Amino acid sequence: MSESSRVAGGLVDRTKPLSFTFNAQQLTGYAGDTLASALIANGRRLVARSFKYHRPRGIFTAGSEEPNALVQLRRGAYQEPNTRATVTELFDGLEVTSQNHRGSLDFDLMAANDFIAPFLSAGFYYKTFMWPKAFWEKVYEPIIRASAGLGRLSGAPDPDSYDKGFLHCDLLIIGAGPAGLSAALAAGQAGTRVILADEDFLLGGRLNAETHEVDGKLGSHWAAETAAELAALDNVRTMPRTTVYGAYDHGIYGALERKTDHLATSGDKPRQVLWRIYAKRAVLCAGATERPIAFGNNDRPGIMLAGAVRAYANRWAAAPGKRVAVFTNNDDGWRSAVDLAARGIEIAAMVDTRDIAPLAGLPGALIAMGARVQDTSGRGGLRSFTLSGGQKISADCLAVSGGWNPNIHLTCHQRGRPVWRDDLAAFVPGADLPVGMRVAGAANGALTLGASLSEGWTAANEALDDLGVAPAGAAKPKADDEPAAISAFWHVKESSARAWLDLQNDVTVKDVKLAHQEGFRAVEHLKRYTTLGMATDQGKTANVAALAIMAECTGKLIPETGTTIFRPPFTPVPIGALAGRARGKDFRPYRLTPSHKWAADQGAVFVETGMWLRAQWFPRDGETHWRQSVDREVSQTRASVGICDVTTLGKIDIQGRDAADFLNKVYCNGFAKLPVGKVRYGLMLREDGIVMDDGTTARLGESHFVMTTTTANAVGVFRHMEFCRQCLWPGMDVHLISATEQWAQFAVAGPNSRQLLQKIVDPDHDISNEAFPFMACSEITVCGGTPARLFRISFSGELAYEIAVPTRYGESLMQALLSVGAEFDAVAYGTEALGVMRVEKGHAAGNELTGQTSARNLGMGRLVSKKKDCIGNVLSERAALNRENGLSLMGFRPVNRSDALSAGAHFIARARNAAMENDEGWMTSVAFSPSLGHSIGLGFIERGHERKGEVVRAVDLVRGKDIEVEIVSAHFVDPEGARLRV
Amino acid sequence: MSNLSLTAQSALGGIRRDFEGVSLAEVGGHALVSVATPLGGGERLAKAIASSYGAKLPTVGYSSLSDNGRARFLGLQPDQMFLLFEHEDDEALAAVTGQLGDAGYYTDQSDSWAMLRISGPAGRTALERICMLDLHPDSFDIDAVARTTMEHLGVIILREAADSFLLMSPRSSATSFLHAIETSIINVTE
Repeated sequence: MSESSRVAGGLVDRTKPLSFTFNAQQLTGYAGDTLASALIANGRRLVARSFKYHRPRGIFTAGSEEPNALVQLRRGAYQEPNTRATVTELFDGLEVTSQNHRGSLDFDLMAANDFIAPFLSAGFYYKTFMWPKAFWEKVYEPIIRASAGLGRLSGAPDPDSYDKGFLHCDLLIIGAGPAGLSAALAAGQAGTRVILADEDFLLGGRLNAETHEVDGKLGSHWAAETAAELAALDNVRTMPRTTVYGAYDHGIYGALERKTDHLATSGDKPRQVLWRIYAKRAVLCAGATERPIAFGNNDRPGIMLAGAVRAYANRWAAAPGKRVAVFTNNDDGWRSAVDLAARGIEIAAMVDTRDIAPLAGLPGALIAMGARVQDTSGRGGLRSFTLSGGQKISADCLAVSGGWNPNIHLTCHQRGRPVWRDDLAAFVPGADLPVGMRVAGAANGALTLGASLSEGWTAANEALDDLGVAPAGAAKPKADDEPAAISAFWHVKESSARAWLDLQNDVTVKDVKLAHQEGFRAVEHLKRYTTLGMATDQGKTANVAALAIMAECTGKLIPETGTTIFRPPFTPVPIGALAGRARGKDFRPYRLTPSHKWAADQGAVFVETGMWLRAQWFPRDGETHWRQSVDREVSQTRASVGICDVTTLGKIDIQGRDAADFLNKVYCNGFAKLPVGKVRYGLMLREDGIVMDDGTTARLGESHFVMTTTTANAVGVFRHMEFCRQCLWPGMDVHLISATEQWAQFAVAGPNSRQLLQKIVDPDHDISNEAFPFMACSEITVCGGTPARLFRISFSGELAYEIAVPTRYGESLMQALLSVGAEFDAVAYGTEALGVMRVEKGHAAGNELTGQTSARNLGMGRLVSKKKDCIGNVLSERAALNRENGLSLMGFRPVNRSDALSAGAHFIARARNAAMENDEGWMTSVAFSPSLGHSIGLGFIERGHERKGEVVRAVDLVRGKDIEVEIVSAHFVDPEGARLRV
Repeated sequence: MSNLSLTAQSALGGIRRDFEGVSLAEVGGHALVSVATPLGGGERLAKAIASSYGAKLPTVGYSSLSDNGRARFLGLQPDQMFLLFEHEDDEALAAVTGQLGDAGYYTDQSDSWAMLRISGPAGRTALERICMLDLHPDSFDIDAVARTTMEHLGVIILREAADSFLLMSPRSSATSFLHAIETSIINVTE
């Protein structure tokens, strides 16, 4: 097929021919074409099938509002369905296929739906498939699902990449048509920072589609010159191919920039970028969208919006028909006939619903005033239409104009309500605009060129005034105001055939009337019942006419009927763009411990704890099950010495004259008298008396402490203490800073830990039991002068230390510890062994500090000092937290030692049913204890401290377990703590 | 006592990469110490800084250089600044205490932050993809400093020169941060 419908002129670049395929048919076009304009130039009319009835459909519009011409682009994993041909920029090698048909596009088997249309009216699926009930899931739903949907995804991961970004400007101008360009000129010349964004690849908006003049030049020439002038200004960023899709709080806008959609390949660069634009002010110059008039069989290929028809002729030099007729209710429709006639295209008829004098002479054309198009014919595309008087006129293109709707969408994204203007028969922006937004041009109801240019200029100058910027004093662009009168006309009542309102969802006038008849009269109900205004076009060409018909049915005015809520996005945004880079391993950042690389080299298995990756265990040759590794690490640590990277624990450096008093207030136990060189366990409560976190705090100097927190609560505790410092006690001299990242910290645990450390601690630091007893701390040096901190604390229950060096030395210290520890058979252990040892010792951790447990529950009620005030002290005395039958943290061991306990099991008395009313508590943590040779657990149980020796059931209905357990002390290993002090 | 000695490693192995119009390099040879102002001690600290470093106390959001240009105070919050200075050994705190005495509270942060310098005419374009702050010179001029987040990571950003930014992000996530910055650069350069 040659470009049989290409005419002279236009803004396509004829020096750059392009080749593409549509359903494997080789076609040609030019740079500057859209897929739609190229298809029209090639004489292709049938391009798609409709959603429900599979009716033949052609190209209807020339912009992002397109309801019909949805196609699939590219192939393989790159295949993208439901893409609007009208906004697809043509490139060489583009592969396009049609969608939503069985069999070929020309002979779609699913077109049988059109013959059973009476059974497929609005809401048919709510009432047709009710019986028999069993058929719904097994028969009806699969059939409906197989039939529904438009294009198909490839099913493969998206091979493209996407990115996000942040932009800032004084003035964001949304839309680069006449109003937008005028606004950008005013603001750009004044030197303010401007972003000018437009969804089109060519700036100029309707100027490129019309033959109007601006400042004595053809509009498209003025637009090109203005765009070039703006591009030369450093303070103006012009962003073609960028849709501002949403207006959010505080002058923030969302925008999608299509970076490589117009190229054959992305070249490994992001295909699209999702921008967050921070704008001090914005001018919405989004233009207007034409709407059709509903009449019988008004959906055939060849029936198009009148403005689109002349856009194809003027901008893309593509004639949508050889013999064109126009059906209008407004002056603008006449321009299509005049422009097409000027390009030598035959005008068959000019049909105007208004009984007024003709606006122009059209030689050879039938002029029918006060007339209506009642029906059309033509199986694969329009061949003729019939006027309400019965006259049949042959034509292959019918250009329809029912008036223009200002694109008010972004004005309503923060619940602004539009107002109705009778003179335009359209909604315009209301007074309640998003903060900092102005509206200018056609989007504001200024539908003529002169007014549009003027409004853009004025809006920009008003914004400059707001910002305190002086205008440049340049001359405002000028143009005439073309005729634009309209007389509202929504549908041809004489039409007995189906008259389409929403082409994308196959919603007809009759469907709206049915919704009214069945009580779905509110616009939001109308939308849900009929599917009007859903999917990719969101009813941009359909909604107003539909609600006008609903208004007719209800006897209300259109503004009383109202519109549905406008929500972002203005046009579809791919999920990939919303995700940006956050996919796969880039979903979130990772935090690595200082010994990570070393651990990875050892073959460690890692576990995610928050953002941290921690070594979970270190498998050795011959170990085939994780328990073998963990049991070995525990046993070897308890027998000799083990080393674990505990850098992830939060570390907070606390300094100030009042640091000790501050700690005394945030911890429930006393800290004011902690001597320098000592560490103390601390328990932190929330205001409500519930435990927030625990850890140890070391006093390094009179006014200098270092606190450790749990890994999970490191940030939360820091934030809490900053709040206390800044808001509760601003008069205290205390300063906090995180030192978590500063120090690589390792637990060295086991009976040989001191001997091992003595090999690396420099000799001038005595760490003997006498000089450095349990809970001592000191700033020391290791390995010949490297600064370090040593804390004699134990989580494992063994003689143990934590040693910290500046992070830069972390990996080296780990290697040194293992190296000098070789003679003791020192072992590296991971979080799993750490967890086993703390369960054996009965230490509470995250599973016990759930944000619902009190100090009393944890067996630490006496730690809450009553000699001082502290956060949570008063509310910890609430009766509910001090019930005699309250929960106590206890140990549990299986009566049958070979049973494996499970965390989450609930405790039920032996003789009771496993039901909620008999629940006495739950198992929080379990482990296999290599020290004891059987499974052990920690858990909360009512009156636990009085019930040692009692046997209850641990019932885990989820895993189907019901195990008898004995209540024992939580301290399975060394309950007296003797090992800690040797 | 063994004769072992420990080896220091920088956060990013001293990486340096050059792209079209952008260079990215880890910054070494510097120490970073937080300096907190004792309650009521602002004037004393300002005097100490002026007499020892010849620098002004920075306001929040700005930094000030010492008279020899080798130390920079970064104003991060009302009672806290970071002192970034050329330094090689492990005794950064001693160096600061030697200058300022007990006029402030000091915490070594040298190992807490990975430092990357992004420079070149396309640096700002790359940062647009990751930094939500307005880095236009009208809003973020030379010597300006801010705390922000990039790709969920905390970042301190300092504009050292028209086309040069120093980025500091927590050391544990430095490889993720480097990847994020490199991706931003690759996405905007040829």
